[in-house]
Amino acid sequence: MFFEIIPDGTHIDFIGKRRIAFAVSGLVVLAGVLAVPLQGVRMGIDFAGGTEVQVRFQDASVGEGAIREVAGACGIGDPSVVRYGETEAAEFLVRFRSDTASTAASRDDTRCVLTPEQTARLAAVDEATGADAESDGAASLVDRFTQALGNTIGPLEVERVEYVGPRVGSELREDGLKAMLIACLLILVYIAFRFSTRFAPGAVLALVHDVLITAGIFVLFELEFDLRVLAALLAIMGYSLNDTIIIYDRIRENMALRTKHDLIEVLNLSVNQTLSRTLITSGTTLIAVLALLLVGGEVIWPFALAMTIGIVVGTYSSVYIAAPTLLFLENRLDAGDAAQSSGARGAAAQPQSPNRKSRQKSVGKKSRARA
Amino acid sequence: MSGLRLRVGLAVALVGFFAFLSISNFVPQARRMESPLLPDAGLRLGLDLQGGIHWVLGAKLDVAVAQELEALRQDLQNRAEEEGFALAASKVEEGRLIVSVDSAQDAEEVREWAGRTNSLRDVHDDGARLEYALLGPVRDEVRKRGMSQVLEVLRRRIADPVHGIPDSVVTRQGDDRVLVQIPGGQIDRSRARELLRVTGFLEFKIVKESDQTEELLRARHPEGLPEDTVIAFERDKETDRVLTAYLLEKTPAITGDHLKDARVGFDRQQRPIVEFTFNTQGAKIFGDVTGANVGERLAIVLDDRVYSAPVIRSRIGARGQIEGRFSAQEAADLAVVLRAGSLPIPVEIEEERTVGPALGADSIGRGLRASVIGLVAIVLFTIGYYRFSGIYASAALFANLLLLMGIMSLFEATLTMPGIAGIVLTVGMAVDANVIIFERIREELRAGKTPRGAIATGFNKAFWTIMDANITTLITALVLFEYGTGPIKGFAVTLSIGVVTSVFAALVLTRLMFALRPGTRPVESLSI
Repeated sequence: MFFEIIPDGTHIDFIGKRRIAFAVSGLVVLAGVLAVPLQGVRMGIDFAGGTEVQVRFQDASVGEGAIREVAGACGIGDPSVVRYGETEAAEFLVRFRSDTASTAASRDDTRCVLTPEQTARLAAVDEATGADAESDGAASLVDRFTQALGNTIGPLEVERVEYVGPRVGSELREDGLKAMLIACLLILVYIAFRFSTRFAPGAVLALVHDVLITAGIFVLFELEFDLRVLAALLAIMGYSLNDTIIIYDRIRENMALRTKHDLIEVLNLSVNQTLSRTLITSGTTLIAVLALLLVGGEVIWPFALAMTIGIVVGTYSSVYIAAPTLLFLENRLDAGDAAQSSGARGAAAQPQSPNRKSRQKSVGKKSRARA
Repeated sequence: MSGLRLRVGLAVALVGFFAFLSISNFVPQARRMESPLLPDAGLRLGLDLQGGIHWVLGAKLDVAVAQELEALRQDLQNRAEEEGFALAASKVEEGRLIVSVDSAQDAEEVREWAGRTNSLRDVHDDGARLEYALLGPVRDEVRKRGMSQVLEVLRRRIADPVHGIPDSVVTRQGDDRVLVQIPGGQIDRSRARELLRVTGFLEFKIVKESDQTEELLRARHPEGLPEDTVIAFERDKETDRVLTAYLLEKTPAITGDHLKDARVGFDRQQRPIVEFTFNTQGAKIFGDVTGANVGERLAIVLDDRVYSAPVIRSRIGARGQIEGRFSAQEAADLAVVLRAGSLPIPVEIEEERTVGPALGADSIGRGLRASVIGLVAIVLFTIGYYRFSGIYASAALFANLLLLMGIMSLFEATLTMPGIAGIVLTVGMAVDANVIIFERIREELRAGKTPRGAIATGFNKAFWTIMDANITTLITALVLFEYGTGPIKGFAVTLSIGVVTSVFAALVLTRLMFALRPGTRPVESLSI
C-alpha cells in the first residue's frame, strides 16, 4: 500500500536485548569516563586559552619544518604546526600557548627576520599599547611571527588569527559547563511537567547517555573540545529527546488501550509501531548533518561530527535505553507496592497481577491519546 | 469555505512577505537603500563570513583607581605643606594609599584629612602606618568614568562615522570589556592594533577665527588660508553634523602630556564646570600662553577634533577651570576628553577572532553547498517516500526556509558559519514534524479510516508529540543564546527561529495544503 522501510507488522524483540544494550552502553560510557583521567581531555583554545594562526603560502612546497624554525626564532616556544585543509595547498595551522611564548626573549634574535621598518613599527605599536604586558605579548607576537614568515619563507596570506586569553578561557569553560547544566535542568523540569514520574527518569537517562557517549567518543579519540562541540552537545540534548518522546507517547497510548498486555509486549509493540518514524526523522536530520560533515569544511567539521554521533546514539538510546528503563522502574515499583500492600492486608494472595493492572490503568489515565 | 480561503490567503501573504524579505538579501544593500520598493533591513554577515577583526578588549581599570589615589596622595602632600605637618613617606600600591608618619599628631592630621575627602576608608592603621582604599561607591564611580574614557577614545578612533573605519563597531561588554569589530580587509592587523592605544592626542590651540561651516570660513580667505593655520571642526556627538568650523593655529599652545588631571566640579552657583591641573612645567607654559592671549578663545582638540573652545578670561597657571553653559553630562564628557589625553587607561586584547576575507568567502561557499546538498537530498527522499504528500512536506520545507531567512532579515540578525549550520540542521529537523504526521496518517489508513478521517486524526494526535519534541530543542537553543559568544550565538539564533518556523510550517501550512486538496472531497485513496 505504501512505500515503506519498515513493513507494517514488523516485530523485532528490542526489549529482550535490553541487558546486552545496557551492558554495551555502560561499557562505552565507562570507557569515556575513565579516559578523562587516563588520557586527558584535549581542550581547544576556546577553553584552554592560547593562540591559533592559520596561514597559506603561495609557494606550495613550503613545509612544516621551516615554519617551526621561524616560530622558534620569533619567541614561540613550543608551537604545533600542522597542515590544514583537504587540498595539498601550503596551508598551515600554527598553535601555541601564551605561557610558552615571549616577545622579549626573541627581540634580539636575528633569525626572526624583520625589516628595520617593520621592527620600528611593531616597537611603536607595542609601546603605544603597552604590549609588554604578558598577555598582550601574544597579539604582538602574531604580527612579528607572520611578518617574519613572509620575509623568510615567501608571500603568504594570514587567513585566521584566534587568541583566547587566560581569563576568557576559564570563563568560557565555566560558562560552558553552566550552560550544559542549566539546559539539562530546564529539560528535566519540562519532562517532569509533561510526563508522569514513571516516564521522566527514562527520558533523562537517555539524554545523559547521549551526551556522555558523544563526549566520551571525543575524549577516546582525542578529538578537541571547543565552543563548536559544546554547541553540538547542547543541540544533541534538545534533539535526542525527540525520538524518545515519539516512543513514550505511543507507550502511553498502548497502555491505555490494552491493559491486559504484558509490559514487555507493550514496549516492544510500541517501539515497533513507531520504528519507521524513529528511523526516518533521525535519518533526514542525519542527511543534513552529513552534508555539513562532508562538504561544510573544517570550520564546521567538529560541530557536524559531534552532531552525527549524537543523532545516531540518540536514536539507539530511545529504543534501547529509554523504553527498557520503564520496565526496570515498573518492575521495581510493582514489587515495592506489592510487598507494601500485601503486608498491609496481611495476606499474600495474588499480590502481583491486580496491582499491575491498576498501575497500568493509573499510567494510562494520565495519558492523552497521541501519535 | 470562506474561512478556509481567508486562512490560505493569510498564509500566502505571510510566506510571501518573508519570502520577499529573504530574496531581497540578494540585492546589494546600497541598491536596496535607494529603491523605494525594496526593504532596507537585511541579513548581516558575521565577521567569520565576511572577514574582519573581532576583539574583546579588557580595560585595566585598576589603573584608573591608582590614578585617583595618586591624585589624592598629592592632595595630601599639598595639605601637609600648607598645614605644616609631616609625612615620613607616602605611596600608592595595589589599590591602596599607604602613608607613614612619625608622630601621633601627624597621624591625627592624616586621619582628619582622609575623613574630609569623603572618598577613603581606612583598611589599616597602627599609628605609624596608615592604609586607605577608595570607598566602594567612589571606586565604582572611578571605574565607570575610566570605562567611559576608554570607550570614548576607542569609539572616536575606530567607530567614528567620519574618521573611523567604515562599518566598524565598538560596544561595551560587561563592566570592563569592550567589543571591537572591524569588518574585512580594510586595515591590516598590526595597523589596527595601533588604534588600541588609548591615549588620545590632546592639544590646546589658539582660535583665530570660527564660523558655521568650512565653506564660510574659506570664503573669508579667497587667496587661501593664512600660513600656519589649520581647520578643525566641532561636531554634534550624535549626528556628527558640523556645529562649528574653527581656524586654529597649527602649533599647539600646549599638549596633553603636561595635563595631570581633569574632573567635574561646581562653581559658586552650583553650575557644573570642568577643573584641570597641569604639572609644574605645564603650568609655566600654560601661564605664558594664557597670559598673552586673554580674551582669545582656546580650542581643546582631541585627536584633531574640537571639543570646546572657551574664552580665556585671565592668566591660568597650574589649575584652571572651563566654564560654559554645561549640563552635568556635558561637563563629564569634556572631563573624559581631557583625561583621555592625559591619563591613559591601557587595554589588552583578551580574545581575538580574526578571519581573512578569502577564508570568509570560502566558508560561505561551503555553507551554501552543504545547505543545497542537504536540502535536495531531503526533498528527494521525502517525495520518494511519501509521494504526493511528500511534495506538501517539501513545499512546507521551502516555506520554512523563507520564513526563517525573512525573520532574520527583518530583525537584521547576523548570519555566521555556525548560523548556517543551524539552518542546515533546521532543514533536517523540519521534516521530522511532517514525518510524524504522515506516519500517523498511514497508520489510521491501515486501520481502515477514510482519507479525510485519517488526515484529521493524524494531525490531531501528532500535535503534542511535535510540540514536546520542538520545545526541548528550543530550550537548549535559548540556553545557548544566553551563554554563547560571537559566532556560536549565530547558531542559537538560527536554531531557535528555525524551530518555531518549522513547527508553524508543519502544523499550519501542511495542514492547509491538505485542507485544499483533498479537502472535503470524498477521495478513495491518499498518496502518502
